[in-house]
This record gives sequence, structure tokens and C-alpha cells, in this order.
Amino acid sequence: MASARPKAFLEGAGLVWRRQRVVWLIYFFTLLLAFLSTRGLVQRTAHVLDHSAESASRLVHGFDISAFLELQQIPQSPLTGSNDIFGVAPVISLLFLIFVTGGVLAVYYRDESLPFGPFFEACGDHFWRFLRLLIYFAIAMIPVLILVGVTSAAYHHIDEVSVSPLTAVRFGFVAGIILLLLAMVIRLWFDMAQVIAVAEEERAMHRALRQAARLLARNFLSLFWLYLRISIVAVAVFALGLYIWMVVFRPESIGNAFILGQLLILWWIATRLWQRASEAKWYWEFRGSQPASVPVWTPPPSPVAPPPPAPAPASGVPA
Amino acid sequence: MARGISRPLLIATGLVVLGLASWAAHAHSRSSARVQTHATPAHKPASVASPALSQAASSPATPPAAVPNSSSVLEPGKPFSTRVVAYQIEARLDPSKHSIAATETLTYHNLTGQPLQTFPFHLYLNAFQPQSTWMTEVRLNGTRGTQAGEAWNPKHFGSITVTKFAVEGMGDLTGKMEFAHPDDNNTLDKTVFQVALPKPIAPGESVVFHIAFNDIMPEVVERTGYKRDFYMVGQWFPKVGVWWKGAWNCHQFHATTEFFSDFGTYDVKLTVPKDEITGAGGDLVATTDNSDGTKTLEYKSEDVHDFSWTASPHFTDVEDSWSGSAGIVKIHLLMSPGHMSTAPRYLAAVKGTLEKYDEWVGPYPYDRITVVDPPHGGFDAGGMEYPTLITAGTTWDMPKDMLVPEVVTEHEFGHQYWYGMVATNEFEEAWMDEGINSYMEVKVMDALYGKNSFFKFPFAQLSEDEEQRLSYLSLPDADPLTRLGWKFINDQSYGGISYGKTATVLLTLEKMLGEEMMRHVMHEYFLRYRFTHPTGEDFLKTIEDVSGQNLRWYFNQAFYGTQVLDFEIEDAHSDRLNWWEDEKPGTKDQTYRTYVTVQRKGDFIAPVDVLVRFEDGKSVTEHWDGKDRWIRYSYIGKSKLASAVVDPGHTYWLDRDFFNNSYVVKPDSRATHKLENLWMFAVEWVSQLTNWLT
Repeated sequence: MASARPKAFLEGAGLVWRRQRVVWLIYFFTLLLAFLSTRGLVQRTAHVLDHSAESASRLVHGFDISAFLELQQIPQSPLTGSNDIFGVAPVISLLFLIFVTGGVLAVYYRDESLPFGPFFEACGDHFWRFLRLLIYFAIAMIPVLILVGVTSAAYHHIDEVSVSPLTAVRFGFVAGIILLLLAMVIRLWFDMAQVIAVAEEERAMHRALRQAARLLARNFLSLFWLYLRISIVAVAVFALGLYIWMVVFRPESIGNAFILGQLLILWWIATRLWQRASEAKWYWEFRGSQPASVPVWTPPPSPVAPPPPAPAPASGVPA
Repeated sequence: MARGISRPLLIATGLVVLGLASWAAHAHSRSSARVQTHATPAHKPASVASPALSQAASSPATPPAAVPNSSSVLEPGKPFSTRVVAYQIEARLDPSKHSIAATETLTYHNLTGQPLQTFPFHLYLNAFQPQSTWMTEVRLNGTRGTQAGEAWNPKHFGSITVTKFAVEGMGDLTGKMEFAHPDDNNTLDKTVFQVALPKPIAPGESVVFHIAFNDIMPEVVERTGYKRDFYMVGQWFPKVGVWWKGAWNCHQFHATTEFFSDFGTYDVKLTVPKDEITGAGGDLVATTDNSDGTKTLEYKSEDVHDFSWTASPHFTDVEDSWSGSAGIVKIHLLMSPGHMSTAPRYLAAVKGTLEKYDEWVGPYPYDRITVVDPPHGGFDAGGMEYPTLITAGTTWDMPKDMLVPEVVTEHEFGHQYWYGMVATNEFEEAWMDEGINSYMEVKVMDALYGKNSFFKFPFAQLSEDEEQRLSYLSLPDADPLTRLGWKFINDQSYGGISYGKTATVLLTLEKMLGEEMMRHVMHEYFLRYRFTHPTGEDFLKTIEDVSGQNLRWYFNQAFYGTQVLDFEIEDAHSDRLNWWEDEKPGTKDQTYRTYVTVQRKGDFIAPVDVLVRFEDGKSVTEHWDGKDRWIRYSYIGKSKLASAVVDPGHTYWLDRDFFNNSYVVKPDSRATHKLENLWMFAVEWVSQLTNWLT
């Protein structure tokens, strides 16, 4: 199976690029959320810093940790306000992402730009399904969390009895990698269940999960390598960006730092969508490659857009 | 003792964590301040259970009895100190039981000028018992490595039991031993015992005690104990109190306090398994292999007031030396597995510190210094000082830009001067060893490693002086510096005041007197009081003597008071004189009235300069005595105000809030934007992490 769809990796990237409106939608929502959630904090900080001669010398030309901590300790600290939704932002973001995932997958599966109405219709259709799926996901992660606990206890035991600190560190590193891979497999399983739910209009999430589990079991290497490669690229580029931000940029390069920071967020969003696009593409191709005895699935007609076009001959994807 | 060894190590998890931790600490400090226990005023004598153990309180009004001769030179071959005690100890380590069986012969010379009949002794290891005063205080306020109310691992229990107590010429007095509790009347505390002899020891006479005791070492806690097969053995033998200010000074062991002892000699024979690599606060003079698989090591040490030792079969012994004005100093570095990459950093730090102290303060007269690197998991043994032996601390992955090993090494070596030689009473005046040492830590670290001598990452920096100031600001007004060590409102206040505030107060003093003058002060103080037990007043008097200034106004607030210093530019603006007319663009011939209002928000009264700058480049420096709560300056001129700064030279390092010390008319929002960038990025990134869950 792995060799049957070797181009899903690149085709997924191409799909993200072609249908980049969803990337921008998520990015601008995230940016707006971050902007709004930090307003109170920024305004209070500006009140303390903007007219103080102290701020430029300690926070602009370098980053004096003590200046930042002093901001927390002064009597009218700007960092201790209570009107921020700073902590709520990830929750709002989570709900938003659950909401848009149905629309995003519909766009990727059909490889077409859905107009506003159908897009949000797809989002709405899948919101409650994916919320249920999130609950299933939390349940599926329980064994992983138990393993994390066991590993942590083992780590502490090894650390306690070993003369060298590195014994426990090496164990922790290897165990951490294994647990991470395990968590990724579970995530991939649920990703595929989401793709199936959208592609097959499957309403019962437990059926989608069963189907996804069978699919994953039979095509594990192909799918997991697809998912893992994108994850590695995502983290590597992100780490490089952080390095440039922290080490290469001069402390005074505030504008450059902002641009780089936003590019990194955009990259982070795009790579996750790259995974989704690749998975959708993979599934689309998988369905196309099934023997004729299996009923060929037809995407549900969009109220506005025509059915998805046949894959371009140049792509080499089997019809 | 290094207050912060665990903190920087935690900080190593990242600067984001640092910020969050500090945030949490800030919240903790606010909640802690609500504790409504009444503080004991500074200098109030502690409750006294027994007249024999009474301790006199230092008073700000009490001048030193006599100023020692600072010109005295240490002569080779002659004792540096007045040797009051001579300890001979033979000890055997049993690693299988983590226990030590020992005998001790103590010769005490009565140099008090009066007959002594009752003798108190410390049994520090009994602090690690469930109902001790130390444990009670830890349950209330926490201590290094243990949070208040935190579950206690039974491995951390430890004890010392005296099995025999005899006095030469008076027989076995074991039955006459009785526990004493001069500080808190906790009858269950067994960290001090006393014995009334059948007859008094006359002035000038000596008495010889023969004591047998057994130690059960705890897993490392409060800088002593074992971790796996590593041993750091400190405060481990019965130790006689100090006759000081006309009374015995022998406090119970408290969660925040350290130690106080007389100078003397130590002759210690340690029997340990053959494979142990050892280090101790003394010169190794003999090694004997025994037939039972053990070896006996004999150490001698003179003109010190304590003896500690360490053993582990896994140490790597790194040897080096340094040559100073008092001769060659051998450096023994005992490195734990996985930490060898830090060895050059330890060596550079200890040599650099020797160099700076030799140059600035005075000679290091001992021929050795041992630096112990505790193993992983044994950090509670790190960051501690004993005469000629210190413990440091590092991790296998310590970043080179995080100077924790250097700071800890410098700090603990500094204690060879402030505690080791200038042997102040750590129970009662913790600021005199920890605080003065923290001030010197700033000076030495800055000299050796540059301005940002705590963190020097490309993306974030922290200087030593700021670190000390921040520590002070975490809880600046609950306790004065001069509070008895165990009477602080909590551990946070003890640390912030004893270490951070003292350093900050002395850095402020340095700005007032000048760096060179302050160096003279430290040099003179050391020469006057080395190998003695000076008080806080001795130190303050030395400052006044050397500087020739009356600084009582400052001492009374900074050392004896809890006043907080905070100047603010409350308002600064310019107003057109002809304000009722419309302003014509481009008109240059305008006259303005400029107001600058300076407020003293804190209750610390101090004179201060105010620098007012105008747009045309002219400036005015005002001098305000700071006595009133505020002052307003007004000017009439052709130029508008550009900025106003109170205390422009940051003379008052004590100032609680530097941000409100200035007002610049033209706003500069770069710092705000920088923080905004970080916060927005953090929110966006955390939000997008959820993308991997959905």
C-alpha cells in the first residue's frame, strides 16, 4: 500500500497551497483571538512602560529578565489584571478548530474552494460529530496517559538508583519518543476517522473509528510515515525559526521578530493542515484504487459547486 | 548557604517557566503576607528556658567594646585564632545502615574570665525528627526543597544519640544530660542538651569531655546526609555552644538558621570502606588500610570552627592549586558522575574568587579548599559552606550561559570569609554572613563574568545585582535585616531580606560612598574581625569609621527598619503660558510653564536628585531632601519638558519600582510591543497546539 500512493505527501502540500483560504481563515482567527486576549495586558503594560526611561534600556536593548519580573512585583503590576481572556483563548480556539475541521476536510477531500455557505454548512454538519470524536479521543488517550505515569515512575526509580544521571535521561528520552509515536498513531487514527466521516457522510463516529482502525491497520506504514514526515518537517522548521528569533535577531528587531513569529504560527497551522490534506488525498486515492466490486463512493453534491473533478492525468493517480 | 540553588536549576527548564514560577511566587508572597502572626521586634531577646543558655540581644545603641587592631599580621606557625576548643573525633561509617558510630574528646579552654559549670551542646541531627522545632517550622513555612505542609519522606529522618558523656576527673555524667529549648520551649526538641558539672571550671582552666555518639544520617536534607552511596556529613557531632556577650549562646536548630561556634582545632579519624573517595575540611595527614576492608583517614584542621566531610566511591578527584598572597592553596574538586563537563567552570570560579578576595578583602590563610559536587538527586547537599570545604551544584546539561555553578561556587567560597573567618552569629544575624556575602557575590561575579553574571543568553539576561534586588522585592517590608533568624514571618522573607536586601542595601551604600571606599570598608572589616565573632554594630561602626560619615539615618531605616523606598515622578508636563489662545502651528516664540511633581511613595526617607530635561537640550538637577511626601518644581521657559527622572544615577538600588522613576514626554512603545509580540505569539502557539488534538 505504501508504494501505491507515494505522492500524497507532496500532493497534500500542493492542496494546502491551492486551497490556502482555510489556512488564512484559521490564522486570522488565531491572530484576532491573540490580539483581543492580550489587549488588557498590553494597555496596562503600556501605561507603565511607554513613558519610562527604564523600559528601553532594560527591555528593548536586550531582554532583562529582572525588568520583566519587576513588572510583576511592583505594587500596581500591569501583569496581574483580571479582565483578560488570556487563559480562555486556547479553549475558544479548540472549539473553533473542531467547528472548522469539517469544512476544511470537505475542501481538501473535494479539492475545491467551497463558497462561504457550503463551507460553514459542512462545518456545522460535522461539529457535534467531531465534538463526540474529541471525547472518544480523550478516552483513547487514557492508556497513553497511564503509560506516561508508569514511565514517569520508572524514570524516577532509575534516576533514584543510578549513579549516573544519564541513565534515567536516556531511558526518559527513548520512552518519551515511544510514547509520542504512540500518541501520534492515535491521533492519526482519529484524523482518518474524521476524513471518513466527511468523505462517507458517516454520522456514527464509532463506525467511522472502526473503519479508520481497519484502514490504519492495513496501511499503517504508508499512513504513519506520511503523518510523521510532516510532523518532523513542522517541528524542524519551527525550531529553526525560534533559533533565528532568539539568537540571530538583534534584541531591538521588534518588527522582524513580529513577522517571524507570525510566519512561525502560519507554518504551524499550515503543517497541521498539510497533514489533513495529505490524509484526505490519501483516502481519496485509496477509494479510487479499490477493486470494482467495492461500490465507488461519490462525493455528495454541493448545493453550489459541481462534483469534484477527476484527478488530473499528470498526477499519476489511478482513476 | 546558597539560598537559590534549586531555584536556578528549576529556571533551567526555560524562561517561560521562569516567568510563570515568578508569577506564582508573587501570588504566594501576597497570600503569605496575610499571615497574622505577630512578629517579634528586632533585637528582642529570645525567650530563655535556662539562664545558662541565655543569649544577649544585639542592640543598635551598643557600641563595640573595643575595636580590634586591624594591622595585625597572621604569623606562620602561630594560631590565627583564639583556640577555645580542641576536638578529637574517631568515627566509623557504616554505609549499610547510613550510620556513624563515633567517640569525641573535646577539650574546652575557659577563656571567659569567669567560672563555668553548665555546658550546652548542639545535637543538630536531631532536627530531623518529627516533633523537633526545625520540623515544626518546616511544616509551617517550608524550607529549601520542602514546601509547607508537604508530605515528608521518612528517609529524611535523621538523629544523633549520645550514648556516653563523661568529664575527665568528674566521671560519667550521662545521667545528668538534659535537653534544653531556649528559643521556643518546645520540650520535644532535642537539638540542644546541657550538663551541669559537679564543680565549676575556673577561668583559664580547661575541661575535657569524653562523648560517645551514634548518627543516623538522613537522606540529604538541609545540606547533610546521604544519596545512594554519596555522603555529605555536616553538623554531625556534639558541639559545644559559644560563650558570647557574657552568656552561653546555644540555639536550637531552626528551619532558617545556620550555625555559630568557637574556633579551635580538629583531629578527626574517619574509618570508611576502602573504595570510598573522601574529602574533608582538613589536611589529610595519614591513611591506614585496615584488615576488615576499611581504611582510616586522619584529618587535621586548625583555626576553624567546624569540621565536615564527604565520601563516595564514584567521585572523580580533580586537583589544582592557586597561589595568593598567603601562599599556595590546594584545590580539591570532587566531581560526581555525569558532571565532569562542569569541572573547569568550578575551577575557574574558585580560582577567580580566591583572586578577587585576596585582592579586595584580605588573604586566604588556609592551604586548601575542597569543592564537593553533589550527585544528581543530591542537590539538597549542594550550596553549603563549611570551613575549607564547600558544596556546589550542577546538572549534566547545565547551559554555559547559565552561571549557576559559578554563582554557587563563588557564594560558598565567599563564606570562607563571611562565616569561616569573620565568624558571625548565623542564628541571630543571618544578614552578616549571607547578606554581606551576597553583596560580595555581586562584586566578584561581575568582575569575573561581566555585567550579566547570572544568565547571559543571547535572548535574555539577568545580572547579579538585579537578582539580589528582585529577591528583596519579593517581600520587602515584613522583617528588618536584624530580625533573629528564626523569627522571620516566613522562609521567603528570611531569604529575601537576609540575602537580597542586605546585598541591595550595601549596593546602595556603595553608590553613596563610592566603590573604592566600600572596598576599603570590606577590607578593614575583615582585618579587624577575622577569627572573631563580630556583631552587626561592629560592621556598621566600621563603615562609619572608614568613611568618616555619620550614616545612622540610613542604617536605622535600611538595617534596623522595614521602610520601603519608592520615589515616583507623579506628574510632569508643560503648559503654554498663553493657554487661552489657540496654538499657532510653527510658532517658536512660545513660553511654557513646566511642572514636575516628585512623590515619595515609600516610607523610607532619603535625599534624592531630580533631573529635568527640556526639549532644547538644557537640563536642571534639583536636590530634594525627601522629607516631605512630595515636592513640585516649576519652570518657565521657551522650551517644553522632555523628561524628568528622580534618582537618575540609580543611587538607591533599594528603590522598589524603577519604572516610575522617570517620565519621558515622547512615548517609546518598543518595550511594550516587544512584550506584546511575546504574549501574542504565546497565545497563538498554545491555541494552535489544540489543533493537534482536534
